[in-house]
Amino acid sequence: MQDRLHILEDLNMLYIRQMALSLEDTELQRKLDHEIRMREGACKLLAACSQREQALEATKSLLVCSSRILSYMGELQHRKEAQVLGRTARRPSDTGPPDERSPCRGTICISDIRIPLMWKDTEYFKNKGDLHRWAVFLLLQLGGNIQDTEMVLVDRTLTDISFQSSVLFTEAGPDFELRLELYGACVEEEGALAGAPRRLASKLSNSLGRSSGRRVRASLESAGGSGGSSAASPILLPTPAVGGPRYHLLAQTVLTLASVQDGFRTHDLTLTSNEESPAWLPLYGSVCCRLAAQPLCMTQPVMSGTLRVQSWGQVHGILKGTNLFCYRHPGEANAQEDPLFTIAINKETRVRAGERDQTLGAPLTLSISNQYGGDEVTHTLQMESRGALQRWMEALWQLFFDMSQWKQCCDELMKIEVPPPRKPPPALAKQGSLYHEMAIEPLDDIAAVTDILAKREGPPLDVPPHWLALFTEKLPTSKLPIHAPRSPSPPRACPGPRATPWGRPRTLSLDAAPRGRPPLPPRSSSSSSSGSGSPAPRQRSPPAQGFRAKARPWLQSPV
Amino acid sequence: MSYVPGQPVTAVVQRVEIHKLRQGENLILGFSIGGGIDQDPAQNPFSEDKTDKGIYVTRVSEGGPAEVAGLQIGDKIMQVNGWDMTMVTHDQARKRLTKRSEEVVRLLVTRQGLQKAVQQSMLA
Repeated sequence: MQDRLHILEDLNMLYIRQMALSLEDTELQRKLDHEIRMREGACKLLAACSQREQALEATKSLLVCSSRILSYMGELQHRKEAQVLGRTARRPSDTGPPDERSPCRGTICISDIRIPLMWKDTEYFKNKGDLHRWAVFLLLQLGGNIQDTEMVLVDRTLTDISFQSSVLFTEAGPDFELRLELYGACVEEEGALAGAPRRLASKLSNSLGRSSGRRVRASLESAGGSGGSSAASPILLPTPAVGGPRYHLLAQTVLTLASVQDGFRTHDLTLTSNEESPAWLPLYGSVCCRLAAQPLCMTQPVMSGTLRVQSWGQVHGILKGTNLFCYRHPGEANAQEDPLFTIAINKETRVRAGERDQTLGAPLTLSISNQYGGDEVTHTLQMESRGALQRWMEALWQLFFDMSQWKQCCDELMKIEVPPPRKPPPALAKQGSLYHEMAIEPLDDIAAVTDILAKREGPPLDVPPHWLALFTEKLPTSKLPIHAPRSPSPPRACPGPRATPWGRPRTLSLDAAPRGRPPLPPRSSSSSSSGSGSPAPRQRSPPAQGFRAKARPWLQSPV
Repeated sequence: MSYVPGQPVTAVVQRVEIHKLRQGENLILGFSIGGGIDQDPAQNPFSEDKTDKGIYVTRVSEGGPAEVAGLQIGDKIMQVNGWDMTMVTHDQARKRLTKRSEEVVRLLVTRQGLQKAVQQSMLA
C-alpha cells in the first residue's frame, strides 16, 4: 500500500512539473520547483527526527509546502484553462468599457496577532498535574501567496497565543481576502502510546487523567483509520510518517478591506474543531491583530511635472497620496526639503478642467477646490500643453478611483515595518516559569537570586530591593510593605492606552517567564489609582514581577 | 500612632476648617499632601510609624487658607468632610480635597503630641 502511494505521489509531481513546463511560465515553474524540493527536504528531516519538537517543526514546514504546492497547482490549472479557452475564442469578446479602471495594488501587513484562550477549571484542578502542551502556528493566505508564522508552544499558563512575527503581502488589491488558519498539534503523549499494543494502550488511557486520556483515545482511533493525512488532500500529497505529529485545523477566518485599521482590532474566529479532536485547544473565539494596508498610491508619486500656479509662479508638482506637493524645482524634491506649498487632495476635493477666466486667454487650466471649514479654497494650475493636461487629469481621476476603492486606507498613511528575515527556529528550550530557574545553592545566597533576576530582567537594580532589608536586619520588627493586590485580569480583546506606536496592549502570562523584550505591564490593571487626571506612569507596579520592588519617589501633591 | 491590624484605630484629632481660596479658575487650600496606600511609607519623613500609609501634610504655604485655619506641617489627615483618609490612594486623597463643588473643607487631623496635650489638660 505504501509503495502504491509512493508511486502515485511521484506521478503527481511529474504531472505538476509537466504542466508548469507546458505553460512556459518560468516564474511559477521556479516557485513550484523550489517548493517541491523544500517538501522533499522536510520529509527527509521528519524521517530523521528523534525529538518531538524537531518533528513538529518539520511537519509544519511540510504542511506549509504542501499548501503552497496546492495553491500553485490551482493557479496552473486556472491558467491552463484560460489558455485553452483563449485559443478557441478567436473574436475578442467585449470585455467591458474600454477605459475600465483597475485600482492600484497595495501592501498588506498583519502583525501583533493574539488569540485569547479560555481554560476550563478542569485543566487546573482535575488534571493530575501533567502540563499539556500544544504547538500552534498560523497559516496566512492572500491570493496565491501563502505565509506562515513561527510555531508557538502553548500550555495552561498562557492566557493568549501571541505571535511576535508580522507578515507582509505585496501586490494585493483592495478586494483582497486574507485567510487565516490556525493549526495545532499536541506536543507529547500522543507518540508515546502510538507504538504500544492496543490492549495496553486502552488500559493506560483509562488510567490517565481525564483530558489526556480522552486525547489518547481519540488519537488511537484516528491513527488506526485514515493513515495519517495532513490538512492537504491525502492522495495527492500524502505525508510519510504515520507516527509523527499531526496538525489539526483549529480555527479559521477571512479578513478583508473592511477589517483594515491602523490599530489593534478584534475579529471573530470560526472554530473548526470540537472537544473530541485530539489537538483541541479552548479558544475564546476571537483573534486580535493589527491589519494595515498601504496602497501604492499613498507611498509612491503618481504623477509629477511642471505647473504654473496662480500667485506662486512656476513650480514642480508631485502628486502623492493625499497631497500635491509643489517645489521650486525638481532638485528640491529629491533633496527631501519642505515643499513650497501643499494642496490637499482627498475625497472632498473637487477638480475642474477648463478656463476660469476667458479674458485671460489661459486655455490649459485645472482648478482644485478644497473646503476648509466654511471657506472654499481654489488653486488654479496652468499646464504646459494639452498632453500634460490630459495626463494630469488622468492621474487625478485614477487617484480618486483608488481612494474610492481603498477607502479608509487612503485617509492617512498606515505605518508598516518590514519584518526582518525570520531566523531559523532556535533550539527549543523547555518553556518554564521563573521557578524552574530558581535552583539556588546555597539556599540563602542572595547574590545568586539577584544574578538570576538581573539576567532575566535586564538592567541591574540600582537601589537595593525592599526584601533585602529582611536579611540585613535594618527593620527588625516591621513587616514588608504589602502592595495593594491587583487583579491580574488581562484586557480581554479591547485595546488599552498606547504601549506601542499603534496601541497594542501586552498581556502577561500567569506564571510563565517574560519572553524576549521585557514586557510592559498592561495599563488597565493599575486601576487602583483611579486617576484620569494624574498620568499613569507614576503607579507602575507590574503584577508578574513579584518581589522586585523598585524604589519610587514618595509622591507629594499640592492641593 | 501605630496601629495593630485588625484592631480599630483610635486617635486624638483636631478639627480644622479650611475655606478655599479662589485663584483664577481653581480653588486652592494652600498645602501639599504626601502618602497613600499606593505609596512607599518608609519614605515619609513625618510619620512616627514607618508602615503608616496615611495622608500627611508635607508643606503649608505661608499665609494660605490652611495656615490660617491652623493646619501644621506633619499633620496626618484622618477625615475630610466625613470621608475617610486613612485607607486611600494618593490620588483619591487629592481628589477628595479638591472637589470643585466644595468651598469649605472640614478636616480631622492628628499630630504627635496631641494625645499628650489632652492628657495634660485632663490632669490639670
